[in-house]
Amino acid sequence: MDKLIMGRYIPGDSVIHRMDPRSKLLVMIAFVFILFLANDWLGYSVLLVYTFTAIFLTKIKIGYFLRGLRPMLGLILFTLIFQVLFTPGTHEIFHLWIIDITRESIINGIYIFFRFVLIIFMSTILTLTTPPLTLADGIEMGLAPLKKVKVPVHELGLMLSISLRFIPTLMDDTTMIMNAQRARGMDFGEGNLVQKIKSVIPILIPLFVSSFRRADDLAVAMEARGYQGGDGRSKYRALKWQIGDTLSVLVLFIVMVILLAWRQFWYWY
Amino acid sequence: MIEFKNVSFEYQPNSPFASKALFDINLKIKDGSFTALIGHTGSGKSTLIQHLNALLKPTQGTVMIGDLEIKPESKQKDIKVARKRVGVVFQFPEAQLFEETVLKDVAFGPKNFGVSLEEAEKTAREMLDRVGIAEEFFEKSPFELSGGQMRRVAIAGILAMQPQVLVLDEPTAGLDPKARLEMMNMFYNLHIEQKMTVVLVTHNMDDVADYANEVYLLEKGHIILSGLPSEVFQRPEFLLKHQLGLPKATSFALKLQKRGLDFEKLPTTQQELVVQLESRLKRG
Repeated sequence: MDKLIMGRYIPGDSVIHRMDPRSKLLVMIAFVFILFLANDWLGYSVLLVYTFTAIFLTKIKIGYFLRGLRPMLGLILFTLIFQVLFTPGTHEIFHLWIIDITRESIINGIYIFFRFVLIIFMSTILTLTTPPLTLADGIEMGLAPLKKVKVPVHELGLMLSISLRFIPTLMDDTTMIMNAQRARGMDFGEGNLVQKIKSVIPILIPLFVSSFRRADDLAVAMEARGYQGGDGRSKYRALKWQIGDTLSVLVLFIVMVILLAWRQFWYWY
Repeated sequence: MIEFKNVSFEYQPNSPFASKALFDINLKIKDGSFTALIGHTGSGKSTLIQHLNALLKPTQGTVMIGDLEIKPESKQKDIKVARKRVGVVFQFPEAQLFEETVLKDVAFGPKNFGVSLEEAEKTAREMLDRVGIAEEFFEKSPFELSGGQMRRVAIAGILAMQPQVLVLDEPTAGLDPKARLEMMNMFYNLHIEQKMTVVLVTHNMDDVADYANEVYLLEKGHIILSGLPSEVFQRPEFLLKHQLGLPKATSFALKLQKRGLDFEKLPTTQQELVVQLESRLKRG
């Protein structure tokens, strides 16, 4: 489990680390949409420069980002190959039955590849530089306008931060229970499918039971400390929108304008 | 007999998260002995325990469990036998219960090692009796029991595998004093009556002094001290320097010593203390 880089926070003190989680989330979501505006070499190079500048600003080794790609590599290659094989085009390079490799299909494949890589890099920047709890705060505040349509934003935020907090604890529990059952002669991941599914029961049941107990204890402890719901609470971790945040949103806006203009230009041309 | 020959262990070797937990460990657990493992939290005790029943394979060196040799390159299949020979009771073992009834849960272990259902249930009954669970609880769900009872059931589940070596990782953590004493006495009786080898991980120095006949002190993955409890506790400064406690009897004797009462040999158990004080009073 420790090999998973995605979703892991690496403490640091960079411009990006200090940014407000709301602006990071906003930039991240907007980036995904802007990515679909790019459809040629210029668009992609602008976005590549943008992303790599952001990576450089995090002061985190590029290796971490590359490792974040690894679990997705299969999916990326799968899409890439299908794009290359089945995109119709005019400059034919290779032809066999329904398979048609053309210059367009290869270029298209490369674009798709970069689209994946950029999305993964951007989301990795977000998770590597934002502590999970701050991220949860950011999401809660970002959803705040939805209160008007009766979405229980505070409860959602609370559940999110509690779940994030308990992921490592539950992981530890799982390893502990697995070890205990292995010590009782249990084999995991052996035998046929039915046996494999059956071997999950001695882990799942204790895990659920301990989660129930934990939830119970936690609820009691929260009540004992005077928790009564979201109304009238103040915040300990106040989020602060700084110049850097405005700036980062602005830069992304400019990138978007450039890309839009470039598209329009081609359209007219 | 369990023997560690130059055993080292590293978590997630060859990765950026690699961390070494054991360094060049040599130790012998003789058949029929009562060995105590002490050390600070994070000293590598739990990692070491998982080597005793081959849950972890050493990254260097060899662990001998009887005639079974566990090396870094040993195959998982060949070392499963170790799990039957060495029963490990992990910390808070009540978290491992999952079956519908107490009896089934205790029989789970032996069944995994190929014992027939009837045979497994028979052993399960015996072991439940041994740990002091009354017959009326056998058909109940383990989740209906109290914390202390759940722990007994979990321990019975390990005993039912009829291991030659019993490893206990802080078995009395979180129990009340009466249950603590009962449980420790139960382990001690197993050790005396059935000649069972017991390995005990504990922070309670009184238990070490009262029951163990061999102590290993771990620090940061190294064994820094070993020997008889009565010898080990003769060096209070050393233990205090390494942030470990002393048995109550020993620290009391030390206080008396400061006030001018000299001991030839520091007592480690209450009994020893009483005997030594008595002989002193008789001499006047």
